Amino acid sequence: MAEQFYTVASDSENTGDDKVQSAFPDLAIGIDIGTSKCSVAIWNGTQVELLRNPRNQKLMRSYVMFKDDSPSGGVSEELAHGEQEIFSGSAVFNMKRLVGRVDTDPVVHASKTLPFLVQTLDIGVRPFIAALVNNVWRSTTPEEVLAIFLVELKAMAEVQLKRRIRTAILTIPVSFSRFQKTRIERACAMAGLHVLRLMPEPTSVALLYAQQQQLSLHENMGSGIEKVALIFNMGAGYCDVAITATAGGVSQIKALLGCTMGGEDILQNVLCHLLPNFDTFCADHSMDKIKSMGLLRIATQDAIHKLSSQPSVIINVDLGDGNKVCKTLNRSEFEEVNSKLFEKCEKLIMQCLVDAKFTAEDINDVILVGGCSNILKIRSLVLGLCKRENLYEGIDLLEAAVCGAALEGAVASGISDPSGSLDLLTIQATPLSLGIRADGDGFAAIINRNTAIPARKDMLFTTAHDNQMEALIVVYEGEGKKVEENHLLGYFKITGIPPAPKGTAEISVCMDIDASDVLRVLAGVVLPGTQNAVSPFIEVRMPTLGDGHGWCAQALAKMYGSSLDLATIPKKLQQ
Amino acid sequence: MSFGVVPRSGNQTLHLWPNHVPATKIGGGGGGSWRVAQRRREGSWSAGLSSSSFRTRAAVEERGFVAAKGSFYELLGISEGGSYDEIKKAYKQLARKYHPDVSPPDRTEEYTRRFIEVQEAYETLSDPGRRALYDRDLARGLHLAFSTRKRFDEELEERSGWRNHWQDQIAELKRRSMNKDAGENLSWGARMRRQRAESSVE
Repeated sequence: MAEQFYTVASDSENTGDDKVQSAFPDLAIGIDIGTSKCSVAIWNGTQVELLRNPRNQKLMRSYVMFKDDSPSGGVSEELAHGEQEIFSGSAVFNMKRLVGRVDTDPVVHASKTLPFLVQTLDIGVRPFIAALVNNVWRSTTPEEVLAIFLVELKAMAEVQLKRRIRTAILTIPVSFSRFQKTRIERACAMAGLHVLRLMPEPTSVALLYAQQQQLSLHENMGSGIEKVALIFNMGAGYCDVAITATAGGVSQIKALLGCTMGGEDILQNVLCHLLPNFDTFCADHSMDKIKSMGLLRIATQDAIHKLSSQPSVIINVDLGDGNKVCKTLNRSEFEEVNSKLFEKCEKLIMQCLVDAKFTAEDINDVILVGGCSNILKIRSLVLGLCKRENLYEGIDLLEAAVCGAALEGAVASGISDPSGSLDLLTIQATPLSLGIRADGDGFAAIINRNTAIPARKDMLFTTAHDNQMEALIVVYEGEGKKVEENHLLGYFKITGIPPAPKGTAEISVCMDIDASDVLRVLAGVVLPGTQNAVSPFIEVRMPTLGDGHGWCAQALAKMYGSSLDLATIPKKLQQ
Repeated sequence: MSFGVVPRSGNQTLHLWPNHVPATKIGGGGGGSWRVAQRRREGSWSAGLSSSSFRTRAAVEERGFVAAKGSFYELLGISEGGSYDEIKKAYKQLARKYHPDVSPPDRTEEYTRRFIEVQEAYETLSDPGRRALYDRDLARGLHLAFSTRKRFDEELEERSGWRNHWQDQIAELKRRSMNKDAGENLSWGARMRRQRAESSVE
């Protein structure tokens, strides 16, 4: 791979016409690793371009085949693996659903019906994941699978762009915890990619929308009128909602909300409906059962796609051993089977509107992206809640996220465009609240969700016991009122609290999120009534934890009980 | 998630940054050494900066500047009677200037802090309830009602406001589904439940 010896600085002297792809040696690529499909895009000097694999595909199936000695994804292979082969147990997919989760997570449990092996011991450690290689289950990890895949994506991009790729912008689901983000960064590092930024998917769509608004304003010579868009993104693994307000190229993410719910859940609901003993059907993971389950998955997936254009569809699969599925599935039945999921979608959208302090009437555009947006019920419910007749046009529902990531790549790499189409700024928001354990098992949020990034907030806490000299700062992320409902990010101990009756010492805890979304927690003892530190503060970059979230909190509780607890300062004492 | 959590307010402790400092540093994390040991000065926004991201020099330079800018209005560069649109416009302009994504690389730390201040000012002034409280404090000569102050009182109010709003939306949703009895507009699930309920009555 010959490297280009240009620098951005010298290139910026060129006119726009001279700019070719290789003119930006450090330009970050945008990568969207979907639960089901993935894609790569780059700013080519004038616009965003999606890269194609040797089979001329822009959207590539996300999986890694472990069949032969060297595992391979579907990117560079001249011959694609058939769906049936992917469901044979030899391929690992849906890694985005599994990455950074422990074996007590319901999402991991739901993955046990997948053809490859997902084993759980329910003790809060990472699940055992394995692919079938020569009739042996060979273990792997979600990070490894992602890394193998990323290596192929990177190689593909390097061949096409004729330069080395070092940096990337990746899109991630809104509901990813900070721990999951570190796992993605890890996978990227394994693949030799430096992550410039991880963008929640709808915010990358928001960036694309902002650019389109900016361009259309230029054409109409309009002024900086603010436009508000609701973005609903539902792919195979996750569902996200975001509300963005954009004016003059500046988009402000007003609210973000997401959950682990997507096409995979829809598929499983339908599979359960077709085959009541679906959960246990291939629990033994015998070759025959895996094969018939694969056939049923393919047929059901196909049927769900068809239901977007026809009122009913026939599913006919022979599962062997006298088991047979032969059923006509109509659209209303499909919607009934997934009614809970659709209700949850409605709740997400309404909560997001509330968080953004908007009503349906404030929304100018409704943007639907992700594979599940083809489902008629989803379209109608989103439009219904936003009281709109039509969806925003001009955004491709499968390519929007990666295009936004490529735009961010260009912006973050410092590329400027003479036409002003890269004159963009996104003010991101925190998708989840951040806080510490206080008042027993309570979660005291210090930075609330939907706080603009960068952010910095501090709060005072006090001791829970008389003459308490040490305190644990246990940092969590999430929306639960109790800490056990949230993700543990890390912990550290504050020492040297001057002996005093409980409730009198003051411990200041400050949380700081910088522009690159790095979280630092600072804590220390201050003299009551002043802001003077008693002894040096402690600064910790979070998350500090590797695996075993469940264990750490339990071990702390076992070792210290409530002796190092913190309490919030009651309101009346403030005055 | 407020449950009686109050960051300290108190009239004498209005401050923007935790002003304690000297700090030790553990855990990895970007460069920056921490020698800052600075006292908060009464009645200024002075910042005893305690993050590795904000360095001493910037803090010292900053202080004069920030202290000169007394109120949120001055920070945003608008008049005290400024309209919501003016506030928003000023905020976006300043965001374009100070957001770390667009600030000059050598001044990122300083600008990050500035951005957070601008953000704080915008959040306060763009919310009618908060703005009224802030104006009240300002009239009393408390120029510096800052993040610590608002967190409890205002957010509680705000949250109850949200709840009402949220309940309104739920009520609206229920009303819609009740009114549209024709079945056509009813969700499939709702229709099935109704059918079931009806058949069980029979």
